[in-house]
Amino acid sequence: MAEIHLSDAEKTFIIHGVQDNLREDGRGCEDYRHLEIETGLVSNTSGSAKIRLANTEILVGVKAELGEPYPEKPDKGRLEFFVDCSANATPEFEGRGGEELATELSSMLARAYQCPSCLDLRKLSVVEGKQCWIIYVDVLVLEYGGNLFDAASIAVKAALFNTSIPTLTVSHDEGHVEIDLSDDPYDVQRIEVTAAPCIVTLSKLGHSHVVDASSKEEACCLARLMLGVTEKGTVTAMKKEGSGSLDTSSVEDMLQTGRRVGQALNKSLMEVLMSDDKVGKKQHLTGFLR
Amino acid sequence: MPADSRRINGPEKSISPYAFSKPCKDIKITEPSLQRKDGRNPDNIRPIFLKTGLITQAQGSAYIEQDGTKVICSVYGPRAVIRKEEFSMQGQLTCDFKFTTFSCHNRRQYQQDAEEKDFSVQLLEALEPAVLLHKFPKAQVNIMVTVLQNDGSVLAASVTCASVALADAGIEMYDLVIGSSARISGATILMDPCATEEYSDKDSAHVNNGSVTVGLMPSLNQISAVTSKGELEFEHLNKAMKHCVSMCVDLYPVCQQALAVAMETRINADPKT
Repeated sequence: MAEIHLSDAEKTFIIHGVQDNLREDGRGCEDYRHLEIETGLVSNTSGSAKIRLANTEILVGVKAELGEPYPEKPDKGRLEFFVDCSANATPEFEGRGGEELATELSSMLARAYQCPSCLDLRKLSVVEGKQCWIIYVDVLVLEYGGNLFDAASIAVKAALFNTSIPTLTVSHDEGHVEIDLSDDPYDVQRIEVTAAPCIVTLSKLGHSHVVDASSKEEACCLARLMLGVTEKGTVTAMKKEGSGSLDTSSVEDMLQTGRRVGQALNKSLMEVLMSDDKVGKKQHLTGFLR
Repeated sequence: MPADSRRINGPEKSISPYAFSKPCKDIKITEPSLQRKDGRNPDNIRPIFLKTGLITQAQGSAYIEQDGTKVICSVYGPRAVIRKEEFSMQGQLTCDFKFTTFSCHNRRQYQQDAEEKDFSVQLLEALEPAVLLHKFPKAQVNIMVTVLQNDGSVLAASVTCASVALADAGIEMYDLVIGSSARISGATILMDPCATEEYSDKDSAHVNNGSVTVGLMPSLNQISAVTSKGELEFEHLNKAMKHCVSMCVDLYPVCQQALAVAMETRINADPKT
């Protein structure tokens, strides 16, 4: 992660502020920073989204391709996550520097999306055991300003919401199976993402915890708890990160906060995506990195 | 992932024949009174065998067996950090987690795959809070964990094994880290699940189907690692975590005893040290 050098005095200032529910940028402990989401930006993808969470900028491209399902799950499609921490974000990501963070992020995303109820992979099956849709979700980190996991998960959900897969018709003919692709480019299917999770990261600072830590706050924080929270308020994945440990009772408190914040986040995200979807493409945008 | 050119890898793509077999009917584990396949109650854990000092060249080592789960761990160091860029006034800990190719139901590759990398990081983050890193500046400690046989709860067993190996190596620690895991299925919580009981995404789509692994430092009452899989309601998750914590507390004396036995034999063998 991007390295920020803070003196002990600055750290103490931030931690004491958090204990009084006032953070260095004026937020409360459970407030997110300003969030901008745009969908459908990259024309060569099946779905895409870009998120800007204060200084964190992430672009997600989704591509749907036909391929073989896993032999142990013949009736299911596949969902694959790839994360690229580009050296644009911070010089430390150069070469193989971002690899560790990238695998951590992709495995967390994969774990959060693993349960059958949050994304029904059965709908992505075309011919059982032979052909299925493989959804490649590529996450590109363009700028790093703290709270990468939350931002990435929101962007992934938005991009999957935006994804449209061409409708296929399967016909069985004398033992042959034929797959036909519809000629109409608007004859598409969407992916149901209402139940998909968003990751909420809770950073322990002093005796309290905050959501959406900025990179300065991340530098003061020793232990984080990441939760994949759905709109229903269930947890699909949990993980402790960082070199510190957490008290048993504070884990419980963090879970409570995580549920509350995660549910609200999912709800408002879906509202925004829905209303954005209704408006449709308004005008031709140029320069999406503004 | 780059191809492994140094070994003969066999056919490029091969699939275990079990992939094509009908999945055995999911064991009905929703009824709390029901006995498990191996005759245990939901709360019972498997018998544990724990021994230190198996690898004589390593500074510390430990071997843990939880019935079918067998994990070996060795600790090397503290030794000097060679690369100048990696200089740090805090000691460094590295973790290398590996399944042997034959340890799981399906064969694994020699090179670390994504799951093994993920486990390495989780193991590292479970152990880091326990180690007094400032006691060995400019040096590193390497922890190597190899799973010989996987019959569920591997991460939990590895955490316990690695922390005992660290203690055996004489690395100063605040406390041992004890791992434990649980499978949640509806209202039932199965402690220390074996491979067939572990959660996989092939399972039914019901809510409250998942697994939790906890790493606890019992005398400090601090959780140093916690992970979960599968969709769970908060109440169930909390309950399962509490069960895991109490299981860790129960395991603590076992690990202490293993270390005490090792120390005794060491003193008896060479009374001067």
